[in-house]
Amino acid sequence: DSHIQYERVGADVTMKCGSMDWDAAVTWTANGTDIDESHLNGSYLILKNVDLTQSGQYSCYEGSSWHLKYQTCLRVGTPPKEPVLMCRSNNYPKGFYCSWHLPTPTYIPNSFNISVIHGTREMVCEKDVFPKNRCHIRYLQLFSTVKYKVTLTVTNALGKNSTTLTFDEFAIVKPDPPESVVAKPVTNNPRRLEVSWQNPSSWPDPESFPLKFFLRYRPLILDQWQHVELSDGTSHTITDAYAGKEYIIQVAAKDSDIGTWSDWSVAVHATPWTEEPKHLTTEAQVTETTSASTSSFMPPPTTKICDKGAVVGSGAVAVCWTAGLVLAAYGVLFI
Amino acid sequence: MAAADSPSAALRRRDLCSRGIRLAGKMRSDVVDLLDTYVERQGLDASASVAAVEGVPAAAVERWDEQTGTQRLLENLAAYRAFRVLLAQMLEEQREQLGEADAALGRALAGVLLQVSAFAYHLEELLRLESRAPPSEEGSGPPPAPHLGLFERKLRGLGVLRELAQWAVRSARDLRQLAKPSPGSSSAPGMAESP
Repeated sequence: DSHIQYERVGADVTMKCGSMDWDAAVTWTANGTDIDESHLNGSYLILKNVDLTQSGQYSCYEGSSWHLKYQTCLRVGTPPKEPVLMCRSNNYPKGFYCSWHLPTPTYIPNSFNISVIHGTREMVCEKDVFPKNRCHIRYLQLFSTVKYKVTLTVTNALGKNSTTLTFDEFAIVKPDPPESVVAKPVTNNPRRLEVSWQNPSSWPDPESFPLKFFLRYRPLILDQWQHVELSDGTSHTITDAYAGKEYIIQVAAKDSDIGTWSDWSVAVHATPWTEEPKHLTTEAQVTETTSASTSSFMPPPTTKICDKGAVVGSGAVAVCWTAGLVLAAYGVLFI
Repeated sequence: MAAADSPSAALRRRDLCSRGIRLAGKMRSDVVDLLDTYVERQGLDASASVAAVEGVPAAAVERWDEQTGTQRLLENLAAYRAFRVLLAQMLEEQREQLGEADAALGRALAGVLLQVSAFAYHLEELLRLESRAPPSEEGSGPPPAPHLGLFERKLRGLGVLRELAQWAVRSARDLRQLAKPSPGSSSAPGMAESP
């Protein structure tokens, strides 16, 4: 005789050994391990203040014959707390979806039931295969002032709970972020960056339901964002970038008339175009080790700072001296 | 007059649609502001739910994407003609009720009324371009204002403005559909007749 038994965390559980009398000699096991007699009251198994670790298979055997008399799967859990429900239309005007989750796990199976009412009409929210806790609904009417009422009820063996959301058609419209954001430097323009992006692919009809965009950008070294709002188009040229600095750029989208802004897109990085470094000419011309300069500063030709005929060390000094000039010039840029 | 699908007519339609979309956008913005003013001045609760108001054309529509261009224009025109009458009634009631005491609300109502009239005219132009004469206004439109108590009149006014705000959004969408260069946006399949 095997079944499942659900109990609340902290409850006291009494298990009877099937139809055995109270004074019968029995042995109880939990997941195959004998349970100490101190937990028994006659043939009853007493578990006080159960916790999650006590979930498992409990079996009761008749004392001498070891016949299995009773078996149960104990599942310790909690009744559901009020679920968290969210509804959103990222594919307006096709429809919307609702998704939900429990704020804390119950540790036992839960079932969810969702009802959507629009005025007097009950609508069917079709459950998605993936993710599981989501359903979608097609708009039957557009431009309605009548609010939608969505009620989610979660039930498990230990209780139930529910939550209700009421909203109007426009309020839940929130597109997905723009896609394929690309930022490129502009040749010969040290303060420009060309940014382009695409409408989110989930937005079904950008021609009839155009999106507007919000661009934000900042150099990595600063915390403050610059913002630009664009009422149409999927590209923009930043014209006030700091020369030579790496930028981080993001874009968000919103329906032109209704709803809220999308989340920010994936961030892209770009650095404005800078001029090629000119070669530094010195008498002690050394190889690539000294040419790491982004400055157009031209040091005057060094006149025999190092004695060419000197020992090996002086060659290194020449390197250091020229490199020092380069570094000094570089440092000036950052003051 | 050019045939409905001649290049100049197509350009004119696009031009009228773009301007109409801008008009609708401005109208919506002003209606939203008017709603705030109205709720405040009339001492109403902004979240009060108002049952469907008799004589107020509902913006809600099923199978919106399947409508033809002519259907869109006719439904929009009927709506704005009705709103023209309803807003005039509201303006009259507001003057009787508050007299000159609330000039701001009166001005805001009058401003929106003007835009509604302009938009209705705009729609008539678009219909003419579709080689459709706009339907006459005689015998149509909302019934005369019912005899309501003061509070009911205020709630009715709220219902009118809310529905107008929805219409302003719908109209912009309708005009964008109309402006699309596709066969579905013309009023009738095939060539339209030249008048």
